[in-house]
Amino acid sequence: MEFLNPAALYALALLPLLLVPYLIRRRPRRLFFSSLLLLREFATRRSARPWEKMYLPPIFFLQLILLALLLLALGEPSLSFRPVSVALVLDNSASMQAIEGEKSRFQLAQDEAAKILSALPAHARVDLYIVVPRLTRVTEESLKPGEAIARLNSLGPLDLGEADIDYGAEFERLVGERKYQRLHFLTDHPAEGQSASVRVVTLGRPKANLAISAFQIARRSLASPQLEARAIVRNFSATEQKFKLALKGNGNLLAGRSYSVAPNRSVEAAFENIPWRPYYEAEIDAGDGLALDNRRFAVPPPQGALKILAVSPRPEGLSSLRAIPGVELQLVSPEAYEKGNFEPHALEIFHYSAPAVLPESHALFVLPPKQNPLVEIGTALSRPTVSGWREPHPLTRYINFALFRPAYARELKPGGLGEAIIQSPDGPMAVALEQKDFRYLALGFDPFPFLGRQNLPMSIFTLNLLDWFNEGRTGNASATGAPLAAQLRPGEMVLTPTGEKIALEKTSTVFARTYVQGIYRITGGETEKFFAVNLGDERESDLREPPVIQLRSEPGAASNRAFYASLWPYLLLTAIALLLLEWFLNPASARERPASEPVKRDDFRWA
Amino acid sequence: MLPAPFTAEFLNRLEVLRLRTRKDVLGNRPGAYSSPRRGTSLEFADYRKYSPGDDLRYVDWGIFARSDRLYVRLFHEEVDLFAYIFIDASGSMAFPSIKEKFAPACNLAMALGYVVLANHDHVRLHSLKDENAAASPFYRGRQRMRDLIHFVSSVSPAGALEPAPCLGNHLKHIRRPGKAILISDFLVPADAYQQGLNLLRAFNLDTSVIQVLSREEIAPALLQGELSLIDSENFSELRLQWDKTISREYEEKLARHNRELKSFCHQSGIHYSFYATDEDLGRFVLKTLPATGLFR
Repeated sequence: MEFLNPAALYALALLPLLLVPYLIRRRPRRLFFSSLLLLREFATRRSARPWEKMYLPPIFFLQLILLALLLLALGEPSLSFRPVSVALVLDNSASMQAIEGEKSRFQLAQDEAAKILSALPAHARVDLYIVVPRLTRVTEESLKPGEAIARLNSLGPLDLGEADIDYGAEFERLVGERKYQRLHFLTDHPAEGQSASVRVVTLGRPKANLAISAFQIARRSLASPQLEARAIVRNFSATEQKFKLALKGNGNLLAGRSYSVAPNRSVEAAFENIPWRPYYEAEIDAGDGLALDNRRFAVPPPQGALKILAVSPRPEGLSSLRAIPGVELQLVSPEAYEKGNFEPHALEIFHYSAPAVLPESHALFVLPPKQNPLVEIGTALSRPTVSGWREPHPLTRYINFALFRPAYARELKPGGLGEAIIQSPDGPMAVALEQKDFRYLALGFDPFPFLGRQNLPMSIFTLNLLDWFNEGRTGNASATGAPLAAQLRPGEMVLTPTGEKIALEKTSTVFARTYVQGIYRITGGETEKFFAVNLGDERESDLREPPVIQLRSEPGAASNRAFYASLWPYLLLTAIALLLLEWFLNPASARERPASEPVKRDDFRWA
Repeated sequence: MLPAPFTAEFLNRLEVLRLRTRKDVLGNRPGAYSSPRRGTSLEFADYRKYSPGDDLRYVDWGIFARSDRLYVRLFHEEVDLFAYIFIDASGSMAFPSIKEKFAPACNLAMALGYVVLANHDHVRLHSLKDENAAASPFYRGRQRMRDLIHFVSSVSPAGALEPAPCLGNHLKHIRRPGKAILISDFLVPADAYQQGLNLLRAFNLDTSVIQVLSREEIAPALLQGELSLIDSENFSELRLQWDKTISREYEEKLARHNRELKSFCHQSGIHYSFYATDEDLGRFVLKTLPATGLFR
């Protein structure tokens, strides 16, 4: 037997309240009696009895049973036959690593799952599922309960967030497709609604948590060799939290500071002039529920100058860029670009030219032709003056747009992608787009001829855009579950944060098994490469109110009803029968027997 | 207006009754009750030597023939009866209600009173009630039944009763021995009612006792559970846990109390009767009391 609404069973704790009316009734009814001469002896005898203080008549126990039955009926007990086709879904997302007492939520889920499996008949068939990186079966074949318990122990939580799926609908589909008689989902999400086949076991309680939501190592400026670290710590609690943030480089402590963060707010910590290390780690010492998000990793941006590949039919127009410190310019013609295979550059500038598709790097389009993959080109502007701009934005800072007057400009049409950064009275002059970790900027004017003191706002704009592209040029960092973009060759080896060594046997451009947060090292090549992988889902850090799973009764699961019989109507009927019995045994008329009514003093009068 | 039980038929049947006395009484008029004084009734009492002047009709000539001595026959004097009806008017007589206990007791007293009045004897009612010693004048003749009712109606039960002092107050005003009928529930300690009854005996009254109890006192039907019972006389409070066991033990105690009363009356030459107020008054007066010897 199980309860579909187990929360109602907490109401059983209210049963002792039934004593209250009897305690209140302890003030006895006052009745007149002709003479107490013959009764005094009984009073003396009764007061000596120890149970006299708590006299509970038999009707009390009848009422107690009646109330208990009603509360049990509220719990909606159901008699279920032991299913033989069972799906066991384990939530192995990052939030299941939260500690509840001495065990993690995932360990509690394993224990609960083992209990469920132990209760199954020996011939039952069990399918194990996990929810991250996606809802998938652990084994191809169905397992016996004993085998499933053994397999269960080999599973562990991953440093991944859950996909946005409607579990109620997904389980409904799964039960319908695979004809499961029962599906158990062990998770930290609460559930609402009822389902004949799906049972959600909610583990864990709401907790306060601090999490490092972002950590980045970047250059201070375009030409600066100095690095600075920025970390954002978010407070997922209702109280102000204090913490100490430690910055480590290559495993050694570099700096540390104390901060406090308001409830539901974030605080940004910055460390300047940090030395170069192969990789960095930010860690907070909060003893909160989830340790995973108390650490975050980053690798420094590539050393050296900002390498720019400029594609232009008019290379002389770009020569002024060479004067900017920290910039390494390679000029090629559009024809050479189409034919050649160039090394990856930090930035590709298409000057009066455009590639067929958006390049896999940051790219700047200056007065591109009409056939370009980024924007539509409009007509030439009659008066290329600026009428509006995005603010605040890294591209528009420090610029006096009253003096920003390009000699020639064309109207750009973003066409749904990108946002207008600089507006003229006739249309946008600059459109920016961020897509797939790359930044793209299309300009309807050419800023480069004006570098230097001839047009200061235009020069500032040029430096801004180089800085903007340089900001996006951080180290190799990605979210857990996202593939690492790396040129992997046979003979190289990937060392994961768990210490696992994976030898590569063939050439690949990505490494996909990034389910654990930490530093991934690729060794065996010319240089050792470091990649930082961090938990990329802030929702996993919020342990206060996980989303509720909405369960529905499966319309097509009529066959399942054979395994399920609701008992609450019978309990209700029994309670009603007891109520009638109580009414029969203790009718109101008996309670108001005239003889037991107090005789008023007014009655002592001859009528 | 007579109370409900006093129908014409009931009154007619009462008129044929006459109180029985176990002692000689001192009346002041000729009547039907034996007096210790010698008189002219047909009931022989004694002989005495003839003295000059004695009525020759009473000389026993048979004795003179045998012994040659003159003796005259003496006869009892038959006088009328002085009856004293004492009604307990303490608070306990109002339990569970006046209609259920005190009114039946008063009806009983009036029935007895009517029997006395119908025989042209004297009757006087006394209400027994704490310090107040209310008593009616002597009534004689059927026409005084109205006064009897009026007196009874003026009595209301209240307060506590101590039989001996209360009876003592009444007896101070009784000059003539006669028949005393005490109507009470006798829910007082044994020594208290014994003192009272002994007092009546000491005044040479032929005493009868009628114990009156309501059904609620004989077999209380109280709700089970803890009760706080208040004494209807002195308003003292008693807490107890009422259940079937206590109820049964109470009934046994009451029966023992009644047996003690009856036993004391028997030993003291006092007539005893028991009247449960839910019993029919006519049946009790016309059947039970003659059977127990109160009427002849």
